[in-house]
Amino acid sequence: MSAPRTGLSWGRRFLMCPPDYFGVLYEINPWMRKEVPVDLDRARDQWGELVATLVGAGAEVELLEPQPGLPDLVFTANAGTVNHGRYVASRFRHPDRQPEVAHDVAWFTEHGFDVAHLPEGTRHEGAGDALPFRGVFLAGYKSRSDAAAHAPLSALLGAPVRPIELVDGRLYHLDLTFCPLDDRRALVAPQAWDAYGRRVVEALVPEPFVLEDDEMLAFCANSVVVGTTVVMPACPPRVGRQLEAWGFDVAVVGVEEFLKAGGGCRCLTLALDVALGPSGPGIGGTAALVAPPPSTGTAAAH
Amino acid sequence: MSASETVEVEGHIIDSLILAKVLDVILEAGGDYTILDVQIGRTSVDPSRARLEVTAADEESLGLLIEELQIHGANRVVQTDAATEAAEVDGVLPEGFYSTTNLPTQVRISGRWIDVENPEMDCALVVSPEGRVRTVPMHRVHAGDPVVLGRAGVRVRALERPRGASPFEFMASEVSSEKPKEQLVARVAERIRHAKATGGKVLAVCGPAVIHTGAGPAVAALVRGGIIDVLFAGNGFATHDIESNVLGTSLGVPLGEDLPPEGGHSNHLRVINEVRRRGSIANAVADGYITGGVMYECVQHDVPFVLGGSVRDDGPLPDVRTDVVDAADAMRAELPGVAIALMLASTLHAIATGNLLPAGVETYCVDINQAVVTKLTDRGSHQALGIVTDVGLFVSTLAEHLL
Repeated sequence: MSAPRTGLSWGRRFLMCPPDYFGVLYEINPWMRKEVPVDLDRARDQWGELVATLVGAGAEVELLEPQPGLPDLVFTANAGTVNHGRYVASRFRHPDRQPEVAHDVAWFTEHGFDVAHLPEGTRHEGAGDALPFRGVFLAGYKSRSDAAAHAPLSALLGAPVRPIELVDGRLYHLDLTFCPLDDRRALVAPQAWDAYGRRVVEALVPEPFVLEDDEMLAFCANSVVVGTTVVMPACPPRVGRQLEAWGFDVAVVGVEEFLKAGGGCRCLTLALDVALGPSGPGIGGTAALVAPPPSTGTAAAH
Repeated sequence: MSASETVEVEGHIIDSLILAKVLDVILEAGGDYTILDVQIGRTSVDPSRARLEVTAADEESLGLLIEELQIHGANRVVQTDAATEAAEVDGVLPEGFYSTTNLPTQVRISGRWIDVENPEMDCALVVSPEGRVRTVPMHRVHAGDPVVLGRAGVRVRALERPRGASPFEFMASEVSSEKPKEQLVARVAERIRHAKATGGKVLAVCGPAVIHTGAGPAVAALVRGGIIDVLFAGNGFATHDIESNVLGTSLGVPLGEDLPPEGGHSNHLRVINEVRRRGSIANAVADGYITGGVMYECVQHDVPFVLGGSVRDDGPLPDVRTDVVDAADAMRAELPGVAIALMLASTLHAIATGNLLPAGVETYCVDINQAVVTKLTDRGSHQALGIVTDVGLFVSTLAEHLL
């Protein structure tokens, strides 16, 4: 391709939450063990480094206030799903995380987002299970989120939603198995999906990079992309070589304390500037920064 | 027995392969589906929607299957009870009444699906005080009867595909004059044996050509042999059957030779007259006027028959019901338990019978005229097999197989 490649059209504004009250206080995924203690100082350092790396790559980070008794509030990826300034609040499967929603909703309301809710009885765990790629949201289901949520989610977000069934209990959110890199490329772990999900992604992603099992289990897919910088919890040599060949810069930020709760870099962030599809009536809101749609010409990356 | 329920799937069900997945899940679980409705969204943002009727072997398997489908986003369609309205006047249905088909039908009352007891097409559904539901033809509705309105709370079950040995399986088309008849007759005989072994009744609908072609004795033998359990016919068939016994002719044509004797064209009138003198066919048998034939065997073996009248009848015979509405009701009364219907060279009574039968009664239509057979078998989704052949040869061969 002769035209310069633009980076991801979104991913320059994130919501994050400091880990003041982080810990593994309950077990709701196979990675969590209450008896494994969290080193809170180390967690703060790792979190701080993640923020610095994202800002250094050109992103803005906004903060959600941490709350005692809500250790997983740090994983803002699950606060909800955002499109064109509309925030659709999550409905958590586990009662342990359900109290987080009130705080998430309060933040989005205060910050001028249009707040919407999925129908009661449908479960969906936010951007952790809904990632944008080429004009559609790929949405994981079965472990935590319900397929039944996808139709109302699509209506509320104003964009198509394509369900992907997650079949590996360790990879319980889509964002542990899929990482959009730009409008053509993504890190993918199809072994975590069923046959139909694999076909859907095959049809959607022109240049996928397929992660091997150990790369997948090292949370490589749970990375954050800011422009052409990929911020990763780990980067095995094979993955690094391909990313560099594609023109990405790789920044590794160790987040081992957070992996104890089953979350990596992506889980600790929520992109606020996703803008898929036309922003028609009903999808509105006054988001301060909305990235322009991808253009074929100018290189916006730096 | 099978159980079924309607579900719907909504969203980007085509691109996401969810519809394909749902259909595969149903088939892999040993169930079946009918796609009732698909609406494809106009733009890439509009969702698509599909409604399916899902069928499984029983309620329990259906419940498990539906639970699995719900995981992939398919939902039970919200169902409501059927609405009813009391008829104001005898014989007049409320406007907007639900009009039945001949398929197995259920009506939802107080949250439970109730089977309609006697499926029949072109009727209304009436709910009894005990909560039972029957089809009722327009003329039999009484003032105050609760009649089901509209379509909400009513569902119809498509027939299960026939399993096991069935003549329908080996024929690609249902009607043709170019099929091996010997094989067809053998298969029909097999189906009749199977029906009788499982307690089903055989109904024969006979047109006058049965007698003209010399098949009377074979039909009589089938009645005598206990194969035919119910007979529907008209004045013509009964008259020529009696004429053939008493005078050896049918419509004046000797059944043993070609040339009609002089005056033979009035033979049937003389026979009708003598039966009228005696008051009934049974009386004519009792006093020895009729000594053989199909009607004779029906009387002797207590095989019920209904003779429906028509505007062109001569006489008619005293047993013929000249009030056609009454005739149809008499036919309805003989239908419970009928598993097989043989339509032999009849158009009028065969169509009338076809209109009364529930779907699922195996129907065999025999006529020399392909158009008649096509007309009879082309009646919708129930199981009908058309055989284009001379009815005389057919019935004789059938009797040979069965007796």
